[in-house]
Amino acid sequence: MTKRRSGEPMISLTIDGRAVEVPPGATIWDAARLLGMDLPVLCHDPRLEPVGVCRLCLVEVGEPKLTAACVRAAEDGMEVRTSSGRLEVCRRGLVELLLSDYPVDASDRPKTGSDALVALAAELGADWSARRRSGDPGDATGSRTEPAGGIPAGDGRALDHTSKVILVDHQACILCDRCIRGCDDLQVNEVMGRTGKGYRTRIAFDLDMPMGESTCVSCGECEKVCPTGALSLRAWEEPPGEAAGSGDVGWEVL
Amino acid sequence: MTTLLGELKKRGVKVRRRGERLLLSDLHGAMTPELRAAIGAHREELLATLDAAGSTLESVDSVCPYCGVGCAIRYFVDEPENRIRYADGRESPVNHERLCVKGRFGFDYTSHPERLSTPLIRKSSSYPKGPLSTEVRGERRRRPGGLVDYEEVLPHFREATWEEALDLSAARLVEIRDRDGSGALAGFGSAKCSNEEAYLFQKLVRAAFGTNNIDHCTRLCHASSVAALLETIGSGAVTNVFGDVRNADVALVAGSNTTENHPVAATFIKQARKSGRTKLIVVEPRRIEMADHADYFLQINPGTDVALYNSWMHVLIEEGLIDEAYISERTEGFDELAAVVQGYPPDVAAGICGLEPDLIREAARTFGEASRAMIFWGMGISQHTHGTDNARCLISLALMTGNIGREGTGLHPLRGQNNVQGASDAGLIPMVYPDYQSVADPSVREKFERAWGVELDPNPGLTVVEIVGGALDGVIKGMYMMGENPFLSDPNVNKVRKALSNLEFLVVQDIFLTETAEFADVILPATSFFEKNGTYTNSDRRVQVGRKVLQPPGGARLDWEITCEIGTRMGYPMAYDSPEQVFSEFTALAPSYAGLTHDNLGLTGKLWPCPDPSEDGIQVLFGDRFPTPTGRGKFVPAEFASAKELPDEEYPFVLNTGRKLEHWHTGTMTRRSRALHAIRPGPTVDMHPADLEALGVEDGELVEVASRRGSIVLPAARSDGMLRGAVFIPFHFREAAANLLTIDALDPAGKIPEYKFCAVRVSPASSSGAVSGEGV
Repeated sequence: MTKRRSGEPMISLTIDGRAVEVPPGATIWDAARLLGMDLPVLCHDPRLEPVGVCRLCLVEVGEPKLTAACVRAAEDGMEVRTSSGRLEVCRRGLVELLLSDYPVDASDRPKTGSDALVALAAELGADWSARRRSGDPGDATGSRTEPAGGIPAGDGRALDHTSKVILVDHQACILCDRCIRGCDDLQVNEVMGRTGKGYRTRIAFDLDMPMGESTCVSCGECEKVCPTGALSLRAWEEPPGEAAGSGDVGWEVL
Repeated sequence: MTTLLGELKKRGVKVRRRGERLLLSDLHGAMTPELRAAIGAHREELLATLDAAGSTLESVDSVCPYCGVGCAIRYFVDEPENRIRYADGRESPVNHERLCVKGRFGFDYTSHPERLSTPLIRKSSSYPKGPLSTEVRGERRRRPGGLVDYEEVLPHFREATWEEALDLSAARLVEIRDRDGSGALAGFGSAKCSNEEAYLFQKLVRAAFGTNNIDHCTRLCHASSVAALLETIGSGAVTNVFGDVRNADVALVAGSNTTENHPVAATFIKQARKSGRTKLIVVEPRRIEMADHADYFLQINPGTDVALYNSWMHVLIEEGLIDEAYISERTEGFDELAAVVQGYPPDVAAGICGLEPDLIREAARTFGEASRAMIFWGMGISQHTHGTDNARCLISLALMTGNIGREGTGLHPLRGQNNVQGASDAGLIPMVYPDYQSVADPSVREKFERAWGVELDPNPGLTVVEIVGGALDGVIKGMYMMGENPFLSDPNVNKVRKALSNLEFLVVQDIFLTETAEFADVILPATSFFEKNGTYTNSDRRVQVGRKVLQPPGGARLDWEITCEIGTRMGYPMAYDSPEQVFSEFTALAPSYAGLTHDNLGLTGKLWPCPDPSEDGIQVLFGDRFPTPTGRGKFVPAEFASAKELPDEEYPFVLNTGRKLEHWHTGTMTRRSRALHAIRPGPTVDMHPADLEALGVEDGELVEVASRRGSIVLPAARSDGMLRGAVFIPFHFREAAANLLTIDALDPAGKIPEYKFCAVRVSPASSSGAVSGEGV
């Protein structure tokens, strides 16, 4: 929530007919949160500056275009609608698109929290039954050999096993930038960024180094804020007291 | 199904469920075709069973066991397996959900199979006492790395019942006390233990042992800072919380590798800098990560801090960048200070510190022009024979510019251990009772004699290094150590080895077999941080509740109960129902903690002092007056003095010691954490590339580092951040124990050893020998 600037009057708006007052600079998402409403969102976290890339927090404000609540400042007299047939169709469509090349096994991985993308898909009734399991955790070099869901993988969208604590699955990444903001703006480690263009765009460590060879300090912030199975906990998989330092323990999948 | 799972477990085959997949781990190659067939036949049943056992995690809100930042953590626990699965940062004024690698991944040591769970008594065949493992004896080690070798040490002990171990401990301590007097006994408490445990431990030593020979590792980290703070502003704690750096115009980080030692506090400093609000000045002999964020980075020669800050003050006075109103209304002794710093113009300091005079002047100006400045410091200031002088200079700098007592200003010595502030508050200090009340003050003593129902020793006791010296001289004969490992943490290991061997009776209470425990007569298995309730006070003065997350292993007992048992058996009854009850006895005797209870501390704790427990406590101290006799802050000038042991032809390098991000102190915890060990499995000595080249040594090759007190062999690490002629070795690794090299020279006021400076020689390792330590 943006800090209230002293002296400036509060802004009044309604969300789904409920009145709410917020300080100038607050977003529609902030206002909804004050009312205890959880607008669906993947790219936003209250600790981060909003960037409005996932578009799942779309709302109607009486304009022809839908607007993303997380970045749109609240305005005096605004009448916000958070649910309608049109919004539902849009949200469900967005989630189905994000899932179209999502490796299903990514949602099984241990995480701090859970896979918010898959949870949202269930909530919105998104249809992703056509997707199939890749069933392939990647070979030792980290390349995903089997394309997921029929869409060509590769293009560097592989698994990165090099960190001792975090597994990176680039194929499961939706480029929401939360990890980058967590690393750069919250922890100010400034290790993460983006690399590539178009479909080859990926999150990257330093100058596109494998995570375990980068200057990453393993604080885990990126994994904590990641809303999908793209960043997951390796530490959990391997019980303490064994295999310390041995990299990937030979887990066999049955 | 149970039989199949049991069979797999017996053979060391692990089975886990991940979604619809069954994962198998067969590390020891114990799988048979029959077992595999059985698994195939019972696949669905196995999946269902595993789901029932492992799918629901309980969550417990607690805090981090590592550093003085005291991050709020929620642990997710698999109760049937009695194991923490993962940790997540909680919302709190301390960390706002952030964690570092230790907090997030370093909790698993507590479930390590090497946890002690039965009391141990030294076998009669293992006397006379001495070190038991080849490594602690100081002989070349057969294999590199690792912790205390249980197979080598445990045969010298036999298992005992709690009754026997406690009776024996109490009887031997009483015997020494009655024969040689109370002064022959001493206790080391721990800044890893809770306020309640610290309070009871010092009460035991003072009331049952009858001596003030009670100290702990604060002596080794900020004793000099506390001495300087008490002398100048009358209070040893921080004057403002680290999070308030966001309101500062300038932050000075002095002698602190904050990103490795207080990683989450460092994020707030870096964030303040990044916001554009705060300018950052970093003063360090190493080019640390924080330097990359700094507006001014002053890479000073080791041990020359006094010259630098005197020069800053010289510039501030010369250029009129001082707060004259604050100086006249709030302070005393300015003229004496001005006279001393007169002798440190930037030209003079530049030569001593190895800096350009203009850089000194510009940095001083930046500090002086700020209307709000905060000063952070770490062991680089305190761990010197002139550590108290270093801290005095920083305090003078703040007083001269009026930078104490307002938002965005203040003094913040970053505290090391999770409870170093609380353990000191609770009285684990030889000169003071709880809340810094002097043992030498008759009215104070009377108050504690009344509260504890015994007569107390009016003489201040010995400090950590003095107690070790006393053991060597035979003055100290019996000791009780709770959660400390002085063999690796104290300077000059060879001397510590002789001292510990010389003790007539030593009882060690710990969770693992430590190097120090090799010298014990009795070893008592204690509970880890995760297995008990208690309060811990962080660097900000925030008192927080650590809550029980796991069940302790086997026969391990709660630390505070063990202390009470020993007291009672020594004829001084100590009985409490709970840590809450201990806390209320402590707070009744400690005015700074008045009003606090476990209940009102809640999920995010409270800052002391807390006059109104419905509020969060007082964040900024000393807005109107200082708790000194005159109410004024006192300037105490300091002249530059060299370190005790300067480099010379024979020992041409300067050794600096400290921590690495992934490890904690003597490594007993972090080296048993899978992730932390995997990331940093062993020691290195950091050296400047040109120095490596001059020695003809490549990055990663073994070198021998020797001082006048001992030598170690370890891999060299090329580090552009080092000054030429300086080397850095972390003190976590027993196979290359940095403290074999360090000097046990003390700061006269703080009695802190000079860990940050001694002379060493570096040479290519002659033998092909593994990483090892060598005795004298």
